[in-house]
Amino acid sequence: MSDKILLEVKDLKKDFGDHQVLRGISTKITQGEVVAIIGPSGCGKSTFLRSLNLLEVPTGGSVVFEGNEITAPGTDVDKVRQKIGMVFQQFNLFANLSIKDNITLAPVKLGLMSKEEAEKRAKELLERVGLPDKAESFPAMLSGGQKQRIAIARSLAMNPDVMLFDEPTSALDPEMVGEVLELMKELAADGMTMVVVTHEMGFAREVATRVIFIDEGVICEENTPQEFFANPKNQRLREFLSKVL
Amino acid sequence: MQDFINEFTLNFIDDNRYRYIAEGFVNTLIISFFAVLVGIAIGFLVAIIRSNHDKTGHMKVADVICRIYLTVMRGTPTMLQLLIIYYVIFASVNVPKILVAVVAFGLNSGAYVAEIVRSGIMSVDEGQSEAGRSLGLNYRQTMQFIVLPQAFKNVLPALGNEFIVLLKETSISGYIGLTDLTHGGDIIRGITFSAFMPLIVVALIYLLLVTGLSWCVNKLERRLRVNER
Ligand SMILES: Nc1ncnc2c1ncn2[C@@H]1O[C@H](COP(=O)(O)OP(=O)(O)OP(=O)(O)O)[C@@H](O)[C@H]1O
Ligand SMILES: [Mg+2]
Repeated sequence: MSDKILLEVKDLKKDFGDHQVLRGISTKITQGEVVAIIGPSGCGKSTFLRSLNLLEVPTGGSVVFEGNEITAPGTDVDKVRQKIGMVFQQFNLFANLSIKDNITLAPVKLGLMSKEEAEKRAKELLERVGLPDKAESFPAMLSGGQKQRIAIARSLAMNPDVMLFDEPTSALDPEMVGEVLELMKELAADGMTMVVVTHEMGFAREVATRVIFIDEGVICEENTPQEFFANPKNQRLREFLSKVL
Repeated sequence: MQDFINEFTLNFIDDNRYRYIAEGFVNTLIISFFAVLVGIAIGFLVAIIRSNHDKTGHMKVADVICRIYLTVMRGTPTMLQLLIIYYVIFASVNVPKILVAVVAFGLNSGAYVAEIVRSGIMSVDEGQSEAGRSLGLNYRQTMQFIVLPQAFKNVLPALGNEFIVLLKETSISGYIGLTDLTHGGDIIRGITFSAFMPLIVVALIYLLLVTGLSWCVNKLERRLRVNER
């Protein structure tokens, strides 16, 4: 793990009307880190994650990505997002496109690869996620676990510097959770920087390099997984862990 | 039987009266075809502006203009719109009647297409465009490659229906003195004083056109749906 800071979040705030969801979150994410984010439902985990690629526009504070403050006015948000992959709970594969086109659309339309290059890359990525025979299939023909692996492949096709996962296994049938977590584990082992909102405590414990507990819009505790689970200091974290473990 | 042949000869063969029907048929096709194109162009534009405004709050002025347009077009009779466009708006300029009809029916249809397409855009899950945007595609690219194709597929039956309505609605073109299919049949009726034959034939032709159009729409729909299994 290098010491290069990829993402720096400073006093991030987000209101929806008079509902303060994020009340000042600060943290730094270093290259190669795998950060697991846990917390009770509605505490703002998704909102935090979506603020990192500006799917939600923060109402206060700032996000610095690779040295540039992306929350500053005039930022080319689309350009920034090319380098920040995102994987959704509901997969969100493009329903009108074949699997191959799902993977190649963005790199080709954004002029990063020729069609041939992108298709070659798609083929490699499909091998990588264990679905080499699905190139011509459509999303509706796949199982949930397969969809999520394709969604990860689609993200990887952009060669992102960091990947954001918002509960990537929460919409899956239990027997499919494993295949997706396995793939994420491999990504982590390959050095991908990942920020993962998850309810999978096993994943947080085994794969994460750091675990963050968010409650009521602030970070209540963050630590290495060993410390985090063995010696939780925050009272609410202890209550939370006693419920989910 | 002899009566039928006599009637037929009187209405369509004598003096080549079938020509009124033929001319009307061609005009009806021309008006419908180009009005559909105008309607689609306007409809998509208005739908995109409106849904963009709903989502982002941008384009306030354009949205207001679109809403006025929709209100007027859907709130007044089509025939009146045709008359106003012909006798008021194009009163002092000399444009072919057929162009007037294309403009009038296109403008009218655009309002209905717009609302159909807008409902189609709203029917596409928000996650689809979020996924597009999160990959770095901009708003336009996300619309063009992801949202609109899905929206179009979702509303294809409703659009097909709108075009059938439009085709039939062009039958009021006679009010600006244009020989469309209906007017063509009616001219024959005026000459021969026999109503049954020309009017029924015209009705049958409409029926054939509409049936053909429905068939095409169905086929297209099935073609687009192949991907979903
Ligand atoms: N677009 C929005 N408009 C208004 N309120 C919102 C919006 N998005 C989220 N919220 C609210 O913000 C709060 C935090 O939502 P968020 O989705 O970030 O929670 P979460 O921690 O991801 O929860 P979960 O575990 O259920 O996914 C919730 O109370 C939610 O209702
Ligand atoms: Mg969430």
